[in-house]
Amino acid sequence: MSPALLSVEGLRVGFRSADGGMIEAVRGVDFSVAPGEAVGIVGESGSGKSLSMLAVMRLLGAPARATGGRVLFDGEDLLAADEKRMRALRGRDIAMVFQDPQSSLNPALTIGRQITDVVRAHRGVSSAEARRIAAEALERVGIREAGRRLASYPHEFSGGMRQRALIAMAIACRPRLLIADEPTTALDVTVQAQIVDLIAELRRELGLAVVFISHNLQLVAEIVDRVVVMYGGKVVEDGPVEAIERAPRHPYTGLLKACVPSLSGPVGPLTAIEGAPPRLGRLPAGCPFSPRCPDAIESCASEMPALIAEAGHRTACWRPR
Amino acid sequence: MLRLVAGRIVSSIGTLLFVGLALFALTRSGPGSPARIVLGADATVEQIAQFEQAHGLDRSFLSQYAAWLGDVTRGDFGKSFVTGRDVAAEIANALPVTLAIVLFAFLIALVLGIGIGVLSALKPGGAFDRVSRFASVLGLSIPAFWLGIVLIRFLAVDLRLLPPGGYVPLSAGLTLHLQSILMPSLSLAVYYIAVLARMTQASLQETLRGDYVRTARAMGLSSRQVVFYALVNALPPVVNLAALSFGYMFGWALIIEQVFNIPGLSRALLNAISQRDFLLLQGIVFLFTAIFVFANLGADLINRVLDPRQRAAA
Amino acid sequence: MSGLRKALDGLDWSGWLGAGIVGLIVLAAIFAPLIAPYDPLALNIEDRLVAPDASHWLGTDQGGRDVLSRILFGARASLSVGIGAVLIGALIGVSAGIFAAYKGGLGEQVVMRIVDGVASIPLLVWAIAIVGILGVGPLPVGPLLLPNEVKIVVLVGGLFSPVFARVTYAVARRIAGADYVRARFLQGASHWQIVVGDVLPNCLSPIIVQGTLLVAIGIVIEASISFVGLGVQPPQPSWGTMLSDARSAIYSGEWWLPVFPGLAISLTVIGFNLLGDAVRELFDPRSEARTLVA
Repeated sequence: MSPALLSVEGLRVGFRSADGGMIEAVRGVDFSVAPGEAVGIVGESGSGKSLSMLAVMRLLGAPARATGGRVLFDGEDLLAADEKRMRALRGRDIAMVFQDPQSSLNPALTIGRQITDVVRAHRGVSSAEARRIAAEALERVGIREAGRRLASYPHEFSGGMRQRALIAMAIACRPRLLIADEPTTALDVTVQAQIVDLIAELRRELGLAVVFISHNLQLVAEIVDRVVVMYGGKVVEDGPVEAIERAPRHPYTGLLKACVPSLSGPVGPLTAIEGAPPRLGRLPAGCPFSPRCPDAIESCASEMPALIAEAGHRTACWRPR
Repeated sequence: MLRLVAGRIVSSIGTLLFVGLALFALTRSGPGSPARIVLGADATVEQIAQFEQAHGLDRSFLSQYAAWLGDVTRGDFGKSFVTGRDVAAEIANALPVTLAIVLFAFLIALVLGIGIGVLSALKPGGAFDRVSRFASVLGLSIPAFWLGIVLIRFLAVDLRLLPPGGYVPLSAGLTLHLQSILMPSLSLAVYYIAVLARMTQASLQETLRGDYVRTARAMGLSSRQVVFYALVNALPPVVNLAALSFGYMFGWALIIEQVFNIPGLSRALLNAISQRDFLLLQGIVFLFTAIFVFANLGADLINRVLDPRQRAAA
Repeated sequence: MSGLRKALDGLDWSGWLGAGIVGLIVLAAIFAPLIAPYDPLALNIEDRLVAPDASHWLGTDQGGRDVLSRILFGARASLSVGIGAVLIGALIGVSAGIFAAYKGGLGEQVVMRIVDGVASIPLLVWAIAIVGILGVGPLPVGPLLLPNEVKIVVLVGGLFSPVFARVTYAVARRIAGADYVRARFLQGASHWQIVVGDVLPNCLSPIIVQGTLLVAIGIVIEASISFVGLGVQPPQPSWGTMLSDARSAIYSGEWWLPVFPGLAISLTVIGFNLLGDAVRELFDPRSEARTLVA
């Protein structure tokens, strides 16, 4: 098996609360991404999925900090790297696109300017060459008349086109890893499918590894090889997508799957997960899902189960299914 | 967009003409008609009537105003009844002096105000930020003319670094010229340094929080470029405020000129008042009003043209 | 009033400092006749140009008049012009704004055009010019003889009114179109009731914010106009005229003559600015109260 491209080991992210204490939002997360592999990270808001990847990119905003663990990219610990090194990596080896394409593009500069700035930051090419690369990137993400489009401003694009432009910016320098943080959540349903397909296609064409963050298991399952399920700042399940789909082992994953009504088959009552999302800082010592878990026993709340692997499928549960 | 700009320009000119009419009415209706002033208190009624007819003062307000406007567009502000001198020439003598003070003050305010604001925003809560906020409150509150007096005392009288007053034109040498306008312009500028610094700081701090700044960082742009990305969006409201400030500065310059004995438009204006020379007064006030109106117009247009949201709506 | 309680809770230390300063100065102005140690107009040539000492805390001027007493009485001129101008401006402006928003049609256009016109007038220049034209003598109005300051108050008040008019107009238009107001109107509330009950309370916060900051500006305007001799006329004390009289002292060393009046102005303005900023943070952090420049 080839060595992992990205290996997250025991990552912890915390932030200072209003009264001075430290609240942990990511509590010891481990997972890895092989070169060219597509991994989906699934969880509710507050599960720590976005924060984990922001920590990988060292883009955490001031109140939040990585407080422990290692993030190995190609063997190099990113948490120990200096800012200059990170700037060289960002946009060139690892790229990230975010949730809201509307606000993620600078309204005062043309699309072309924003992409060429990224290209020229990482490659010492002339501005003409940079424009050519930018146009090519726009073509690759499906924006027609790319040459002309370089002079457009973000407000002249539709939501889907803006997200495509952001993806073009991300892949212009041929990164090895693309992190997509809920790239479709802010878009119309029809456009969502297009963007997801685009990412899958780019992955095939460019041999990228992809980390796709989402709260929607169904969406993610379409294009990834593996799924990592997070809850309450921890990884609760991590396995091949077919296994997760067919036979999820953690109760939370199972419930997530059951929440989505199927279009075929009889119409029955909708499943919902009981209880409310966990409040950081008020988490049980054991499994964070225990308050809401239908299968929970006493020891679930007091002792955190370790991630036990079985044929490449890991689960953190005392009573896996 | 072009139509919008043209519309605003026409609107401003219209406002100026209207306000000019009010000004005209005020000066013509003030106590003491020009006839009495020129001919003396014991002029007869016939003499007054003759005078007024000769100078077109017996026609209606509106027609007098129209005539005056016509002359003004040709650069003729009339000849003063009191001094006999050409009003336009007098204004032309005094204007460059006031302009020098205001322009230098404006430059100082722009550079220092925006500079301080940017530095403040880049390290929020830092030592520089806290000091500059405190200094801003002071700068906004200390009256410019008092600051002028204090500066004269310290820099001119005590330390003898600069002349205590008077004006040296540019033609006499750049250093001497700058020395004579440094204190007046600085006094004038301090308030606007504070205003612009505050605005820049608030605006930049806000734009730095924007998602597109996060994108720029995520793509590995240098910190200088990231600041530029934010600044492009942060500056329009600052530029707008600067344009407004330019207009306001002219008014306060009048007071500053008096503190430093500068022979600019304030001296001409106060002389016009004490000599009841209303034609001169009218000309000067109209000029100031025109400057103010166009400064406001500039601010408005800057807003419309530069603001990306407005551009999106256009 | 829950609004008042919210106000009291929300002011931070700078707001309280501002409020404290303003309160002190207002009290000093009101009780000047009682607190001032000397008659501000009393000439006393023997004691002229005395440096600050035990009997004259802030020294005396060229005429032997006690500086402290003159400063206390000078507060009256500054505050009355500043506050008076804001009150007049608010009165005119708010009425105009509400009228325009409600009348609609031609009335609205005309009023807002006039507001635009007045807003296009450079305040200081015209104030100087108009007082110059009318003269600095007292103004006979019916049986009263109003001092020169009244002209300034009315003038500056009129020129302040566009600020209030625009704010009120914007709020009134927004409210007049709001669904809950339409509902009340359909239920039988009269226009007047809606204006007083819904429109005015919503205008109140931006008006208070702008008004406080404008008082600061009004005070500096009064001082500046008095400085050039067109404001408060001697022998009445005004901080501006005191500074004008003190100009020769720059060279001859009586530092207390220019320092104290200038400090008085600065302190008062700081007070109103801090208070205004704090109130703005409280009521209107985003802005219906845009940054105010003068």
